[in-house]
Amino acid sequence: MSTDQTDGFDGGVSAGDDSEPEIDFYGGKLASAFPLVFFVVWAIVQSGVLRVSDTTGLVAGMLVALIFGMFLVKGSWAGYANTIFAGMTQRVAATAIVAWLWAGMFAETIQTGQFVSGLVWAAEAAGIGGAVFPAATFILAGLLATGIGSGYGTTVAFTALFFPAGVALGANPALLFGAILSGVVFGDNLAPVSDTTIVSAVTQDADIGGVVASRFKYAGVAAVLSFAAYLGAGAVMDGISVAGDASAILGSNVGPTGLLHLLSMATVIGTAIAGRHIVEAISWGIVVAFVLNVVFGLADVSEMLVFRASDSLWIARELSVLPFVEAINTSPEGVTSSVGGSLYAGAQGFFPLIVLVLLIVAGAQIMIRGGGFRAIQDFLLESVATTVRRAELTMVLGTAFVNSMITINTAAEIAIAPYIARLGERFNINSYRRANILDANTSALGYIFPWSGGVLVGYAALADLPTKYDWFTRGMVVDPTEVVPFVFHGWLLVGVFVFSALTGFGLEYISDRESEEVARA
Amino acid sequence: MSILEKYLAGLTFRSNTPRFDAGDELELFVTGRADGAHVVRVGDSTLRLDGAPADALDTKVRLRVTGFDTDDHVGEADYLETVGESAF
Repeated sequence: MSTDQTDGFDGGVSAGDDSEPEIDFYGGKLASAFPLVFFVVWAIVQSGVLRVSDTTGLVAGMLVALIFGMFLVKGSWAGYANTIFAGMTQRVAATAIVAWLWAGMFAETIQTGQFVSGLVWAAEAAGIGGAVFPAATFILAGLLATGIGSGYGTTVAFTALFFPAGVALGANPALLFGAILSGVVFGDNLAPVSDTTIVSAVTQDADIGGVVASRFKYAGVAAVLSFAAYLGAGAVMDGISVAGDASAILGSNVGPTGLLHLLSMATVIGTAIAGRHIVEAISWGIVVAFVLNVVFGLADVSEMLVFRASDSLWIARELSVLPFVEAINTSPEGVTSSVGGSLYAGAQGFFPLIVLVLLIVAGAQIMIRGGGFRAIQDFLLESVATTVRRAELTMVLGTAFVNSMITINTAAEIAIAPYIARLGERFNINSYRRANILDANTSALGYIFPWSGGVLVGYAALADLPTKYDWFTRGMVVDPTEVVPFVFHGWLLVGVFVFSALTGFGLEYISDRESEEVARA
Repeated sequence: MSILEKYLAGLTFRSNTPRFDAGDELELFVTGRADGAHVVRVGDSTLRLDGAPADALDTKVRLRVTGFDTDDHVGEADYLETVGESAF
């Protein structure tokens, strides 16, 4: 029986909601893609060409794109303007935002609680040499990234500490930088508190816990192969002979107590996979982390939440006996009253990304109502994704391509997510599988190419090392182009998914297994 | 589903032409139409769907399989109710 996958009815791609206004563009349906295309070009120029990793800069780009796009609308612009509102109020954006805020608070709280210090202690206690150091760094960076979900945060922490220590021990610099980025890819891909994990789940109507459990089989295969590759490459690739002292770099003031936050991580991952709502799971993680910090002296209450009020207020002076109130002298210039701590900073760190996701989803909605989304979807279904194997390969390569262009990978993931959803739904591919295809390639490609945001963040930290250590010369800084072949986990993760798409490994249909209810996202 | 089952689910090489049995009740997306009727495509297998509303495309429906040819990977199903819609 021949079927027409692209033969839609009047409802179009917005699932048949005839009450929504249509938008006509000068230049036809594809012109409705202008805001998103303009944004992609802006993102490439900003992050790829000029190498500026500034999410708020992308917000400006999307705002300008939405203004320019309006001038292409035929007739009244009211429908276009209303579509921006309609896009921004979609559940997919709200769900991601809520999860990000909670994840940000959790990540910052375990970092404040000396989790990195615990990892440093573990590296020292193991007494590993230069040949094994890259493999160990891959594991420890993966652990931190899985705990805090922040690829950029892990990259900075490890390039500042583990990289010079490893070089001093005789590890090959390019291999070591690649191992750090590989660990980051692992955590960015797997962590339930990772921004990309959250986006992949909510855009594909899947629960985050189920997504994390379902992607172990892919991440595990790639991680085992990567670990073996770092062991092998570490044994044959020479390092540089330097006068640095690894122990002095890693610091003498480190201890194992920070590793207690493995319990905080286990709380979040365990409760999420057990099927609890992600807000509930991360809330329990925050409670456990908070208690561990206070009970074991890992962080003061004021490091997690503090009200800094002017000591000219009598009530501030009276309340300063409380551990979360500080009366400060605000007379010097630049000192103002404020709220601070890990809960504050963790949530605040996501504000630019939250605004960006709202605007991108609005741009996507304009493309849907203007017919551009449907036109591209029909082309893909008619000419490219004609079988389930080809559809999955299209999803893998399409996600990889977009992520290689837009180097801030969460933004790229949000932009491609509607196509992954629609292509997958047209073959009734399970939402977990769709989320895994989307996130694996997003996480991997964000940390491989010389223009990738993650690589640039790490390079910036490396370039700063000669100012910190006398023995660290400019020649030891790894150029972004040198590290490309050594991000083993990134390459292998993409390879695993190409293999999976071609062979059906891990493929599940919607009829095989339903994801948990969407409310659990 | 137990936590262990969640980790192990999908750890196989899945066929691109899944099979169905008459009487199976499933929730699937309506993916297109052919010969005047809606079609539900699952991988490269297809089910002709009878009785679905005109605006059923890209909605998730509950259906009952009434027949399936395992050689040609095509079958028929009856629409029961609409249970959801596309993620976008």
